[in-house]
Amino acid sequence: MSSFELTYDGANLQKENTVLEVAGLKKSFGGLVVTDDVSLAIESGSITGMIGPNGAGKSTLFNQISGFYDPDDGTVEVNGTDVTGKQPNKIVQEGLLRTFQTPRRLEKMTVREAMLVGAQSQLGESILPLWISGAEVTREERANLERAMELLEFFEIDHLATEPTTSLSGGQMKLLALARALMAEPDILLLDEPVAGINPTLVNQIAGFIEELNQEQGYTFFIIEHDIEFLMGLAEEVIVLNQGRVLLEGTPETVQSDERVINAYLGDM
Amino acid sequence: MNVTIPKTDHELGSTSVVLLGLIVLLGLAILTGALTVSYATYLIALSGMYVLLALGLNVQWGYGGIINFAVVAFWGLGAYVAALATARTSPLGLEWHPLFALVVAIIFSVIAAILVGLPAIRLRADYLAIATLGFSEIFRLLVANETHITAGMAGLAGIPSVLEDLPFDTVTTNLLVVAVAGALVFLFLRRIHRSPWGRVMQIIKADEDLAESLGKNAFSFKMQTFVLGCVIMTIAGVYYAHFIGYVDPTDLDPLETFFVWVAVILGGSGSNRGAVVGAFILVAVLEGTRFLTDFSIFAALSTGPLRLLIVGVLIVLIMRFKPEGLYPPRDELIWPKSQTDTEGQS
Repeated sequence: MSSFELTYDGANLQKENTVLEVAGLKKSFGGLVVTDDVSLAIESGSITGMIGPNGAGKSTLFNQISGFYDPDDGTVEVNGTDVTGKQPNKIVQEGLLRTFQTPRRLEKMTVREAMLVGAQSQLGESILPLWISGAEVTREERANLERAMELLEFFEIDHLATEPTTSLSGGQMKLLALARALMAEPDILLLDEPVAGINPTLVNQIAGFIEELNQEQGYTFFIIEHDIEFLMGLAEEVIVLNQGRVLLEGTPETVQSDERVINAYLGDM
Repeated sequence: MNVTIPKTDHELGSTSVVLLGLIVLLGLAILTGALTVSYATYLIALSGMYVLLALGLNVQWGYGGIINFAVVAFWGLGAYVAALATARTSPLGLEWHPLFALVVAIIFSVIAAILVGLPAIRLRADYLAIATLGFSEIFRLLVANETHITAGMAGLAGIPSVLEDLPFDTVTTNLLVVAVAGALVFLFLRRIHRSPWGRVMQIIKADEDLAESLGKNAFSFKMQTFVLGCVIMTIAGVYYAHFIGYVDPTDLDPLETFFVWVAVILGGSGSNRGAVVGAFILVAVLEGTRFLTDFSIFAALSTGPLRLLIVGVLIVLIMRFKPEGLYPPRDELIWPKSQTDTEGQS
């Protein structure tokens, strides 16, 4: 049997305290099967990494989990609720939030404006309360502003609060995307290549932020990343995706020493 | 954690200065005899109507990035509902009170906006533009051809002035009505724009996928924006019918939609004060070009094409030298009172 034909048997679905559970997820574009029978489970309070060659189906998997693509088959559950095929905004309300590989530029928005959009269920997002519950909107906005500034301070970009987002560097945009995602206080955060294209110092800094958020505040992370050093240093478990299928799941040490993973992705490090 | 929330600076009154300048110019034109008082008041009332239209389109395009090429249709809906419900010559023979007709027009506008928006809002921007343009033409053709209801090309005359019960002459009443309507719409939009609602619209305009990934129902917000903008356009149409006293299908020329777009782009997309200034400048150009042929150098030219040429040149100049418009949005979309409170706390 070729190493590429191995499939994951779904053994980790037995985990306790699962926040995200994916079962038999399949997606094709035309004749090309991009994800094929992918099953995995993410435990609350963990950091899980996902690696795989370009075209392995990692981002497509994230897109299916977060509702941007409808899977052809399989299910996605967040906190025990079936969210398969739901709109992305509904899945966020269930506690799952994702970031994108390329940070989106937000024309005409300042950093703190962009942060405030991350807060969920804001009263002032409906027109009527702006007229009949002004005081409550004020209180809520004030609390959200404080939370936004706290997060910007945590990520050390609070000095940019009133700057337009278009003036931020790529690395600062990555930090903003992370900070904004935390405004929603998600139960699980899917990060799509959070350190792609940024300098090594900032990579270490972001690793430190994620570690601190996980250990001190209990945030759960599911991270796609090609920076192996970054991911292996952070993740407790790593899932290897290859040709749309789960090739292996295990600790960073197990994954890095597995012959099949070395052949399919890592090469001789 | 002791967090200091930074505050932003606000420029004061530049819009007022420009508007004041236009009024002073108008005053001078009257004093020097270049304009008659009745023509000047007509210009102001007409500008008021374009202010409403520009504010309505600014909600859709400026706030939410929705391309609506059916501005004239929603405006015409208001004008025709008002005319059919109140005019002596209406084939429906209703002769309702104008305020009642206004309410009915708004209801019709909401229904039409939902019917157009439900299938069209999910479309990509270019398809949405085509869909709304299609609706606009369908509406114009219906009005022109369903003569047993709309009186067709003959048009509807005898539309009463709005609020005839007020103790003012017609001209003053018209000015008063459009000034109050414009101010109310402006203040309403200002409050909802500088709020969490306005912020969501801003992020949807910038990147709809990102908005969805942050838990915002982009379709719902875009529908709200589309309906709100259409209602404002309809109010402008109702006002026009009572102001001019006559409507016919030639009023529904798609060129009118283009003019409103010019006002919004000229003023600055996303800026309410920009929409106001843009509307005044548009009327100044549209009406001012009437007199160009009085000058010998332009005497041989026809006014219509010349007017379009000037509007076109104006747009090219703005795009080249000030692409964000004359008065681009300046305020952060943060609920103002939350920052006022900050001053006392930080």
